[in-house]
Amino acid sequence: MVTDLRKCVTCHACTVACSAEWGVPAGQGRTHVRTTPLAGTFPDLMSSPMVEQCNHCEHPPCLEACPSGATFKDVAGVVQVDKDVCIGCGFCVDACPYDARFIHSLNRKVDKCDFCAPRRARGEQPACVATCTAHAKYFGDLEDRDSDVYRMVFRDGARRMETHSVAVGPNVFYLGKPEHLDLALTNFPPHPPRLLTAGQTLQKVVRPLLIGMVAATFLGQAIAFFAQIRKGEEEHDD
Amino acid sequence: MTSVIPSAPVPLSYEEAAVMGQRSMKKHHVAIMIVHWFNAATWILEVTTGVALITSRLFSVAPAWFSALVTGVFGSRANLLTFHVALGCLWIALLLPYAIFGFRNYLRAEMLNFFEEDDRRWLVIRLKLILKRTTEALPPQDAYNAGQKAFALVVWAMVPLVAASGLVMAFQLVSTAVVGWAVVVHFMAVGAVVAGLLVHVYMGAVFPEEKPAFFSMITGNVNELFAYRHHFKWWRKVKLEEQAREQADQPKVGAPGAP
Repeated sequence: MVTDLRKCVTCHACTVACSAEWGVPAGQGRTHVRTTPLAGTFPDLMSSPMVEQCNHCEHPPCLEACPSGATFKDVAGVVQVDKDVCIGCGFCVDACPYDARFIHSLNRKVDKCDFCAPRRARGEQPACVATCTAHAKYFGDLEDRDSDVYRMVFRDGARRMETHSVAVGPNVFYLGKPEHLDLALTNFPPHPPRLLTAGQTLQKVVRPLLIGMVAATFLGQAIAFFAQIRKGEEEHDD
Repeated sequence: MTSVIPSAPVPLSYEEAAVMGQRSMKKHHVAIMIVHWFNAATWILEVTTGVALITSRLFSVAPAWFSALVTGVFGSRANLLTFHVALGCLWIALLLPYAIFGFRNYLRAEMLNFFEEDDRRWLVIRLKLILKRTTEALPPQDAYNAGQKAFALVVWAMVPLVAASGLVMAFQLVSTAVVGWAVVVHFMAVGAVVAGLLVHVYMGAVFPEEKPAFFSMITGNVNELFAYRHHFKWWRKVKLEEQAREQADQPKVGAPGAP
């Protein structure tokens, strides 16, 4: 997906369309439109809009953080959530550098943009793309050389919103003047992937302990078992 | 005439042992046996499906092919989770009444009396015997030996945690943070039980000296010789009760029919 920030008029039509399409509760959203504070000195002031959503990253940190395997990447590279497998632990919400995930306040499971998978299955464009009043959003196959997104990314220089420290390969690209894009990135930078304290406890304490405990018991028994075999059959009270 | 019941194990003659080996004693109620095997089947299925559900590199405890295999059997991860949750709920529904109403009958206070001197010594000597570091005799035990009691304590402590954390995760109870911690608790509690289960299964199915204990979970009975040698305190209690009953049944002197 490519968002042309030069065209965005911050009308929020995309967020409204998205929320209406997917029944997102009030106060939550799969996509957000933000505006940076003014920068520079009068009269050379500037500001930039920023449209945020799931970036369907090349190396999504949310996927690793998911303990139940509800988050997966489909064949097209779109990061999806299987609601029937999600347990609502929130590990992925904290892991996402772009804060694109949230716990749906009604079903208490994780929710996020899936590039409108059901609409795409019907051959339609994602709701935000179809609704954008300024035609600032483009969706297509980055591997198709005839597509708009291919042209924007590889010829017009649409870029990823990533920093040196957080580069997970987001697949939503932005077009705009370099200074505007820099301003947006400085104001809304991705944070390094985090793992909740519960997740860290699970990874660094409980998992090694569990494997160690089971392995030690197993090993102890293997030793006892071989000692028993060496001793051979004996008479017992049966 | 009633025989004298010894207060501590005494060496048995060959004939005595042969006779006792033929006599059986009732060890388990049929309800316990059904619950035991239902529980065993549940644990095998729940651990298999549970392990297969964890695919993240950060948390997984089994290789990826195992997860793929189990998921393949169930058709999809959603089916896998549905099965895991449904069986877990059935398990809670059936075990909860057992835990509440069976407490007086089955989970006897004698099992909680874990820190007896005999039990402590039994654990130490049992371990030394396996490691061939002693030839000492094991101290007399009650209906359940110290190893079984230790495992029971682990299970009693962990099973409520497994059930509660499972319900929290399955139905997103309380809050997101609580669900997150429930994952940790579920892992830890199941791990502790599984480590104990390995010993339990080994002792029951492989360890030759406990073979009658394994079959007692199928027939409900153990032979008296095994009871005498492995669970002397229990054997003595049963014998004393039998004796008391017999004496009560004897007609009183002077009553009609009395000698």
